[in-house]
Amino acid sequence: MALKFLVVDDSVTMRRIVANSLKAIGYETLVEAGDGKEALSKLSSDDSINFIITDWNMPEVSGLELVKSIRSTDKFAKLPILMVTTRGLKEDIVEALQAKVNNYIVKPFTPQILREKIDQILASA
Amino acid sequence: MDNNSNMDQVFEKLGELKSFFIFGQKVVPVIQSIIDFMRDVVPLMEYVNNSIQDSASKIPKAASQINSVTNATEMATSEILDIVDSMAMDLSKIKNELGDLKNGFFNQRVALESFGNQHPNLNGQFEALQSGLSIDDLETKVVALEEIVKKIENDSNNITLSLQVQDITSQQLASVNHLIHSVQMRLSKLMNDLSKKGPVDMSDIEAEDENTRSATFNPDARYEKNSNKQDLANELFNSGQKTSQDEIDKLFGK
Repeated sequence: MALKFLVVDDSVTMRRIVANSLKAIGYETLVEAGDGKEALSKLSSDDSINFIITDWNMPEVSGLELVKSIRSTDKFAKLPILMVTTRGLKEDIVEALQAKVNNYIVKPFTPQILREKIDQILASA
Repeated sequence: MDNNSNMDQVFEKLGELKSFFIFGQKVVPVIQSIIDFMRDVVPLMEYVNNSIQDSASKIPKAASQINSVTNATEMATSEILDIVDSMAMDLSKIKNELGDLKNGFFNQRVALESFGNQHPNLNGQFEALQSGLSIDDLETKVVALEEIVKKIENDSNNITLSLQVQDITSQQLASVNHLIHSVQMRLSKLMNDLSKKGPVDMSDIEAEDENTRSATFNPDARYEKNSNKQDLANELFNSGQKTSQDEIDKLFGK
C-alpha cells in the first residue's frame, strides 16, 4: 500500500525535518499542516491520506485534540496516528495512549526510530 | 475640710500629670523611631513602586526580543536546511555518476574479455592494454568515493537531526515568554490593586499560570540525546496496547 502522510506541526523546521526523515527512509508522498484545525480540513478534503504524524503542542487545535477528534469519527477510527512530540512525561504518554494514538516518539528523534515506529504501526494494522 | 479635699484632688491630678509626662518621656523616643523609620521607608516604597513600573514597562520589550530570537533561529535553521537539501541533491547526482562509472567499468571488462577471446595471439599486448586501462584501480577509487559520499550523507542527516534543537529551544523560549507575561500581569494587577488600597486578588492569574498543558509550547521541552523518555514511551505503549482501554484507564487511575 502506498503511504501518503499528513505531517502536522506548527514548526516549519520540524515539518521539514520530518519530511526529510521520511524521504531518508523511502517515503516521499506527504502533505503538511501547521495545526490541528488545518489538519482536519486537509484530512476531510483528501481521501488519499492514510497516515498521520502529528506534534502535540500546537495553536488552534492541539495534537491531542486532533487525535480525539479523528478517533471520534467512524471513518478515521483506524487511521494510523504517530505522535512526535517533546512531551516525555509519563502522564503525557499515558494521555496519548488513552486518546488512541498508535505510537509515540519523543523529540529529538532519528530516521531509524521513525522507520521503526511506522513499521510497527503498519504491522499491527 | 473643703480646702483639704480640693488640695487632695489637685495633688491627685498632678500625680496623674506626672505619670503622663513619665509615660510621654518613654513614648516619645518610640514615636521618634517610628518617624525615622517612616522617613527611611517612604523613599524605599517609592523606589519599589518606580522599579515595579519600570520593570513592567520593560517586559513587553523583553518578550519581543525573545520572539525575535525565535524568529532568527527559525530563519537560520531554514537556511541550513536549504543548504543540507542542496547538498543531498548534489550527493544524489554524485552517487548516480559513480554508479554509472561502476557500470562503465563492468562493461569495459566485458568488452576487454570479449576482445581477448576474439584475439588470442596478441603476444602480451592484451595484458599491456589491460594494465594500461587500470580498471581495477579506478574501480577501487570509485568504491572509496562512494564510501565518502555515504559518510557525507550520514553527516548531513545528523545535521538535520541536530536542528531539532531549534524547535525544542523555541518551546523553551515560548515558556519563558509565558512566564514573563505572567509576571507582567501580576505586576500590573499589584500596581492597580495597591492604588485601590484593597486586598490583592491573584486567583485568575494563578489559574492562567497553571493552564500550560494546552499551550502551544511544552515548558518541559529538553534537547536530550539519551533515550530514557523514548524508552519509557516504548514501555508504556508496548504494555498499553496489549491491554484493553478500560484496563488502561484503570491502570492509570482515570
